[in-house]
Amino acid sequence: MFSNKTIDRLDEMLDEAMSGKFCESNYDESKLSRIESRWKAFLGTSVLSNQNLEAERHRLEEFISDISHQTKTPMTNIKMYTELLYEEARMLNDPKVPEEDVAASARKILKYAEKIKNQNQRLEFLVDSLTKLSRLENGTLEIVAKPSDVNELISEAVAIAKPKAVIKNVELVVSESTYKENQTASFDMKWTQEALSNVLDNAVKYSPEGGKVTVSITDTEMYLAIHVVDEGKGISEEESARIFGRFYRSSGNQQVEGVGIGLYLTREILSKEDGYIKVIPNDKREGGEFILYLRK
Amino acid sequence: MSILVAEHIKKYYGEGETLVRALDDVSLSVERGEFVSIIGTSGSGKSTLLHMLGGLDNPTEGKIIIDDKDISKLKGDELCIFRRRKIGFIFQSFNLVPSISVYDNVILPLQLDGRKIDKEYIDNVIENLGISKKLNFLPPKLSGGQQQRVAIARALASKPAIILADEPTGNLDTKTSQDVLGLLKTTGHKFNQTIVMITHNDEIAQMADRTVRIEDGHIV
Repeated sequence: MFSNKTIDRLDEMLDEAMSGKFCESNYDESKLSRIESRWKAFLGTSVLSNQNLEAERHRLEEFISDISHQTKTPMTNIKMYTELLYEEARMLNDPKVPEEDVAASARKILKYAEKIKNQNQRLEFLVDSLTKLSRLENGTLEIVAKPSDVNELISEAVAIAKPKAVIKNVELVVSESTYKENQTASFDMKWTQEALSNVLDNAVKYSPEGGKVTVSITDTEMYLAIHVVDEGKGISEEESARIFGRFYRSSGNQQVEGVGIGLYLTREILSKEDGYIKVIPNDKREGGEFILYLRK
Repeated sequence: MSILVAEHIKKYYGEGETLVRALDDVSLSVERGEFVSIIGTSGSGKSTLLHMLGGLDNPTEGKIIIDDKDISKLKGDELCIFRRRKIGFIFQSFNLVPSISVYDNVILPLQLDGRKIDKEYIDNVIENLGISKKLNFLPPKLSGGQQQRVAIARALASKPAIILADEPTGNLDTKTSQDVLGLLKTTGHKFNQTIVMITHNDEIAQMADRTVRIEDGHIV
């Protein structure tokens, strides 16, 4: 059936594949040449899946070290402020303490309690985000994209972000032409609300006091795009590729509350429903602009 | 493991006083599954580079290795077959065959190679690119954006080692460009496809995972 030569070549191809050295001998219209090319392609994909597994393992390792790093700071702070609080309270408890020191001491105690509360909130937020992230990544919570109402998505996400905007005196506006009848796209309502409210939260967070955050929609044949524009500093071109990484914090923004999970989570969510997110760097426009593309 | 390696590529035209160094010692490597954009102004050498990477032109000096094969050693028919099997091209001008249907255009590279059609995969690609309803049309009946989506499907159909896209949105308006780039990015990712795209536009380049800038024949 087969010539000995063909069998020999097939044998050789297996040997070469096992030692990871296989490459096609030549390219012509013969069946054997075609098989060689497909054999090469198959080996390439298995290399790729091994590579992906390895990358996944590496990601997990980094994730764990990120978590311990991220939790350490608030924990250390809580410990420190608790210590200070304790000391101050003990001093206050001393009956010989002069009257004029009592008021100062009470002020300090209040300040420390405030700090502890903040750090606690930070920790809580971190754990919350991590729980969401791990559920999303290990697939316990699946994202199911199906035709859904875009108006509902926007109004709900805006409602989630509103309280923080009010506290910061930032105006959260949905531009006039945004809500249209029967406006649908293919997405998972719950998770995409999470994604959009993350972007809105960010926009509010990096807005100046009294600033404005505007939500609007543009529409193409394949995608429905939700634009979130703020009056903050925006993102530099250099940073624009990195901001979607896990635990990435802009260098100038360390004092702003946050842990650097929001945008990463947002990108993951959109990618699982065949959409994507883009940022317009601040050399292209004033302020910040994020665009979420949902597949129609 | 790199799917594409270009080592010290030089491309000179003319000689003596009129010598033009279109590419002057360019090295580049692309990993499997990566989406890389090469950005440069016109005359920077980016098109010359893409032509070299695709085996459409030979470098004066240097090596180009695709899927472990040094393509500068391939000649004539062999190079032609290599390109058909390993490289998916997406051109600015779409380059679809106008006289056959959209579907036949998509599976053309497979048929030329005498390969069986993996229907499930092809249907999946077509569905993802939103051209299911256009399969029986002739390409000239489609809009520019739709034609380019067919070209993306054609490039994905043969599961090539690498897709080379040459200013894929050069002939499209802004909105349509966004569609085409979005689909190139999302389908490339979904089907684990390696993509190298050249462009002169920052915003377009930004869609890729990594950007390589080329100026006056050098990578900067």
